[in-house]
Amino acid sequence: MSENYNLTLELKRLIIDTLELEDVDPSDIDPSAPLFGEGLGLDSIDALELGLALQKQYGIKLDADAEETRQHFASLEALQSLVEARRVN
Amino acid sequence: MTFVPLIRLPWRNAHEDRRSLPRHWVDSTSLTHRIDAWRLWLADKPRGYWLLYQSRPAEFCAALAALWESGRVAVLPADNRPETLARLAETVDGTLPEAPDVTATRQHDTAAFAIPEALDPTATAVVLYTSGSTGNPVRLAKRFNQLDTELAAHTRLWPLAGSGVISQVSHQHIYGLLTGVLHPLCAGAPFYGDPCRYPEGLIERLKEAGEAHLAPVIVSSPAQLSRLPNHLGWHDSPRPRRVFSSGARLALAHAQHTEALLKAPVIEIYGSTESGGIAQRRQTQDTVWQALPGVELSFSKGRLALRSPFLEAPQQWWYQPDRVAPRHGGFELLGRADRLAKIAGKRVSLDQIECLLAETEEVREARCVDLERADGRLGVVVVADEAFIPHQRETRHALIKRLRSRLSSHLEGVATPRYWRFVDALPSNAQGKLDHELVQRLFADLDDHKAPRWLGEYRADVTSCCISLEVPERLIFLEGHFDDYPVVPGVVMVQWAIELASTSFGELGEFKGIERLKFKQVLRPGARFTLQLTRRAEGIAFTIDSQEGRHCTGQVRLQTHGGKHG
Repeated sequence: MSENYNLTLELKRLIIDTLELEDVDPSDIDPSAPLFGEGLGLDSIDALELGLALQKQYGIKLDADAEETRQHFASLEALQSLVEARRVN
Repeated sequence: MTFVPLIRLPWRNAHEDRRSLPRHWVDSTSLTHRIDAWRLWLADKPRGYWLLYQSRPAEFCAALAALWESGRVAVLPADNRPETLARLAETVDGTLPEAPDVTATRQHDTAAFAIPEALDPTATAVVLYTSGSTGNPVRLAKRFNQLDTELAAHTRLWPLAGSGVISQVSHQHIYGLLTGVLHPLCAGAPFYGDPCRYPEGLIERLKEAGEAHLAPVIVSSPAQLSRLPNHLGWHDSPRPRRVFSSGARLALAHAQHTEALLKAPVIEIYGSTESGGIAQRRQTQDTVWQALPGVELSFSKGRLALRSPFLEAPQQWWYQPDRVAPRHGGFELLGRADRLAKIAGKRVSLDQIECLLAETEEVREARCVDLERADGRLGVVVVADEAFIPHQRETRHALIKRLRSRLSSHLEGVATPRYWRFVDALPSNAQGKLDHELVQRLFADLDDHKAPRWLGEYRADVTSCCISLEVPERLIFLEGHFDDYPVVPGVVMVQWAIELASTSFGELGEFKGIERLKFKQVLRPGARFTLQLTRRAEGIAFTIDSQEGRHCTGQVRLQTHGGKHG
């Protein structure tokens, strides 16, 4: 399997483990569906937790200049582009 | 820079000191323009009560000042969910739009309105709602003199001269309103005009404040302080003068972590919408809560009562629904006396969640529990008829999704239970209660990734036991077994049988061997199954069944020290 596929799965597991989504497994996360609100139903606290996890796992520091940085969390696809572009480890 | 009470319109007290503030910061000079725009917009509108929801502190403050100047009352919804706004819209004279749609030419026409000398201190200033997460949020009106005395107490304890305030919490609630917007407004201190919920934004704001020679003051909450990342380069950024936390209890470890990271004192404020501020502490120095200036405390039977000028009826004793222990110079908080949990600073009624769930077809009864986990999330134990009990991962997932979506129109996301346990009857102890120990057992698999999910058990007699279980999706043994088709390894099933047998029957002794072991079919993650255990002279017999049929059966020989069997 490609690296791309592996990262998708890795991110799904990161979300599930970080947010303790016990009833969700990787196949439940549609890469293009919204992670917040509708879709996976994540909330503002989850956004903080995910920010921490991205930093720990990939050394990603989110842009400081705008609240919109959390738009990277709009969907798994968006999150994956962020990780691909900005990971340092 | 001196403190000007709200009734003296501090926002019209533009002072000469025009430092070059970064974009999006607000001071009374930059506010005037927006206030005038709102005044113009309001000029031909009815008087009375106006619904005000703005996510940006700057625009919020401008609209609020315009309402007050024009003798109107601001009604602040706790959240902006359509249901909330629609419900409240019926109770007010109008709803303020996102922005006033006044034309540029009219914006200079300030003759359209008059600016009063002073406001009536006994007039209602704002109407607040306790929480968006309870079915019947309590509506609370605050007069100007209540707000002004509380702001005066803040300014006595925590003067803002030379400071710039950065708020991470909503000003639609009393704590964010007073600490993040009104106090800087009255003190003539600049404050950041956009929401600043996340740590990456916060660090940038600290730098901006520092560059403008302002000592930053952070208005935050446990939700944010407990999740401050280490590696953001806090050591390079200006030290805040202080960091406020309120809305829920901040764990000592998180207070210490924040102080170490930001190198600033973390001050917690304790209070409620009804009572206003009650007490404060710096937990790293002293865990005892000390009354705010003007607040008189009394303790009776472990409950806290107070009189304070911040209350609607300052002369009457107000009973706070928290359990306390009096201490020298103050008190310690022991927890709530009612069935409300605090999730991310929001009051959540456990009774309400249970009622909402019980209204659904699938649920006979629900018991919502505050698991007191670090993530602050709620768990719920749902009693359902056999027809609705989920037996596979897919059905369980779909049921949870349905129940969550039914709750979502009544509850905010953070208030929705995250951990669900479906049972055919509530597990109970000898007194017939679902006690703390049983709750721990129902949710033990959250922290123990080797254990099956326990959902209750039935003892027919002393030698047999039938246990309802589920395979947690995050069971550690599933990993790497078969990646595309995860199953519970057979040895794990045997191990579970042995462990649960010793929990049910007591210590059974040393493992001596397995007999008649048969694996019939695989057991998959998310599957609900029963483990039937029978005590035998020389060990146990067990069977594992599910709706799919039999999975595994066998006998385990076990021998206690000095025992003769084997």
